[in-house]
Amino acid sequence: MSAAPLIHVVEDDESLRVALLRLLGAAGFEARGYASAGDFLLQPPPDRPGCLLLDVRLPGPSGLDLQAALRRQGVALPVIFLTGYADVTASVRAMKAGAVDFLAKPVERAALFDALQRALARDAAQRAAREEAERLRARFAALTPRERAIFEGIVAGKPNKRIGDELAIAERTVKLQRAQLMVKLGAGSAAELGRLAERLQHLSE
Amino acid sequence: MRFLAVCCFLLAAVATAGETRHVLVLYSSHRLLPANLEAEGGLRETIANSTELSAEFLDYPRFEGESYVRILMTFLREKYALRPPAVLVVGGEEALAFLLDHRAQFFPTVPVVHMGVTRSFLRSIPPLPADVVGVPIEYDFSGTIEQALRWHPRARRLVVVTGAASWDREFEARLRGEVSRFQDRATAEFLAGLPTGAVLKRLGELGDDAVVFTPGYFQDGEGRMFAPREAARIMAAAATAPVYGPFNTFLGTGIVGGSMPSFAAMGRQAGLIVNELLDGAAPAAPRLPVIMPTALNVDWRQVRRWGIDENAIPGDAVVHFKALTFLEEHRKEAIIAAAVFLFQAGLITVLLVERRRRRRAELSVRNHRFELAHASRLAMAGGLTGAIAHEINQPLGAILSNADAAELILESGADRRDELREILADIRRDDLRASEVIRRLRALLARHEVERQPFDLNAAASDVAAVLCAEAQRRRVTLEIQPATTAAMLVGDRIQIQQVLLNLVLNALDAVADAPEDRRTVVVSVESDANRIAIAVRDRGHGIAPEHLPQLFDSFFSTKRQGMGLGLSIARTLVEAHGGRIWAEPGPGDGAVFQVEFPAAGATSLPSPGPA
Repeated sequence: MSAAPLIHVVEDDESLRVALLRLLGAAGFEARGYASAGDFLLQPPPDRPGCLLLDVRLPGPSGLDLQAALRRQGVALPVIFLTGYADVTASVRAMKAGAVDFLAKPVERAALFDALQRALARDAAQRAAREEAERLRARFAALTPRERAIFEGIVAGKPNKRIGDELAIAERTVKLQRAQLMVKLGAGSAAELGRLAERLQHLSE
Repeated sequence: MRFLAVCCFLLAAVATAGETRHVLVLYSSHRLLPANLEAEGGLRETIANSTELSAEFLDYPRFEGESYVRILMTFLREKYALRPPAVLVVGGEEALAFLLDHRAQFFPTVPVVHMGVTRSFLRSIPPLPADVVGVPIEYDFSGTIEQALRWHPRARRLVVVTGAASWDREFEARLRGEVSRFQDRATAEFLAGLPTGAVLKRLGELGDDAVVFTPGYFQDGEGRMFAPREAARIMAAAATAPVYGPFNTFLGTGIVGGSMPSFAAMGRQAGLIVNELLDGAAPAAPRLPVIMPTALNVDWRQVRRWGIDENAIPGDAVVHFKALTFLEEHRKEAIIAAAVFLFQAGLITVLLVERRRRRRAELSVRNHRFELAHASRLAMAGGLTGAIAHEINQPLGAILSNADAAELILESGADRRDELREILADIRRDDLRASEVIRRLRALLARHEVERQPFDLNAAASDVAAVLCAEAQRRRVTLEIQPATTAAMLVGDRIQIQQVLLNLVLNALDAVADAPEDRRTVVVSVESDANRIAIAVRDRGHGIAPEHLPQLFDSFFSTKRQGMGLGLSIARTLVEAHGGRIWAEPGPGDGAVFQVEFPAAGATSLPSPGPA
């Protein structure tokens, strides 16, 4: 996995697209341009950190349409909108849909880079969270069915004796397997186990 | 006057004065002398129609002498014996004298009315019998002369013309007595009893220091006989100075006028007395005027001819022959005509004022329409703000980003000149692009003087499409322009026509707003042929309800919730100002077509085709 972010610019106006790509390139970013929403969708982005610089007004599906489509597809690239005319309705819609920013053209370099930083930071955070959840899921998947049942009992706050009664095993066996699953999940304490349980719960929703 | 005389003979007379009463008039002089004719006119005017009037005359002074008188009297007595008069009228002093002399043999019991007898004559004879009555007359020689001298202040000579007959000599004598009154005003010169030729020659030599007075004459120095009126006429015609006379019968002969009794009035006065006598009044009974009045009579033509001061004519003077002014003659008609004329004039004025006011109002409406057209363009532009901002901000954004990129490149210290050059070229291009957008908008929106210039409708339509393409894109509508294959030259105001197009295209964009994707198309086509230039704006939208078609171009008609209803009304104003027409019709299949048609500008009068 390359750590260098890739910035996607979707802008139908060629001269503006070229200018933006030039600017991003001069600032040291790797960037890729697309003339329409369709162009972007035809070339699925590589799994790299990055963000989307998206013109609101595009021929065919608009920038807002593309944003919605990406969300549906689970593509989590943060979106910065560019607009020639800041109309309130569109900006509210975009921000509600999770846009990082809504920038009016002509965009000042500082504002653009600031938005890019935030977008990339958000992307990094999202990636980190996603990776951790993956790890967690993998660990959880490694538990035996008995260990998973004991884990649920612990998370529900039941004492070992009661868990043993319910599972028809000895309390000592419960204690043994509890220590085992804590090692498998990488948790140091019962409280940490609780937090893990919460996050797992969150991921499965 | 003396030319008359009456006799009435009355025999046993009275008796038979049966149904038709008979009045006998006897004149001194010839019955056809103007004075006698006038007097008889007055008589007949007054005396009842049923009364029979006979007239006889002594024919004095042409015939006189005892035997003549005797024979005449016998003749008259015999003539009227079987038809005796009920009243006798004598006209003139000789007739009165004749009657008085022979009354015993000539209808002695018939009452007598005299006329034309002077007061001085009456004083010179014994008092009249009680059954002889009448109103005396007076000829005002002095008054006439005095008036003449007053009207001609420069006159120093008073020329008096008289004749040779016995009557003429009597006048001469009287006049010689009267002119002495004027001796300190003028020198009197008598042309008495001269041959007419000599008289006329003398009169023809007079200067403006003279006035002439004449009672006319019966006979001149050569024995030629005249009616006095005729004598007056030839004298007035020959004289180079104004001529005055004492008899109103002279009026119209060329004399200026004089202080005169009226012979007609005299006759009427006599007639009145006759009537009373016929009605059975005692001859003494009528209360009679002391004397017939005299009046200053004047011939207006002579007043003008001799330059008499009009203000010097007394108000009570009788002015003759004054051509009545139109107003005097047709006063009533004139008033009506004037009223009608004034009414018409008033009406015309009112109509003109109205027309002027209407034209002014129309002009002001037109101006307001153009104002409104401008306001409406601004409003349309307001609606297009998004599209316009987008169009301008695109190149501005590109410029800014390019500049930023160039700056970063320079800061990096790397030698990337080619890239920098490219960037600068792009900046220049985008700058021009932005300014072009602004130019187009400015051209469309700026308040401008209405122009009449030839321009190509194709180019105008393309400009409008350029302004609207961003808006069409925003609304996801395909805007297609189909220019005419040849130049479509129109003479007029390009911006106003573009406004019409802008309006029609925006309407079309509205119309397809809710249409499915495949119908969101607006087509603007321009056609040009020898006779017409036409623009059609087609959409495939919701179409126009047939009931809306007639009102479509009316002010304040709108089917849109936010529409003012002015756009199409203004469009029509603008199109009609260019001699064109605009209408809407259902599109083929669906939607609507707005057609604008202009008569083609005469190709010969236009510069060679090409965009303005």
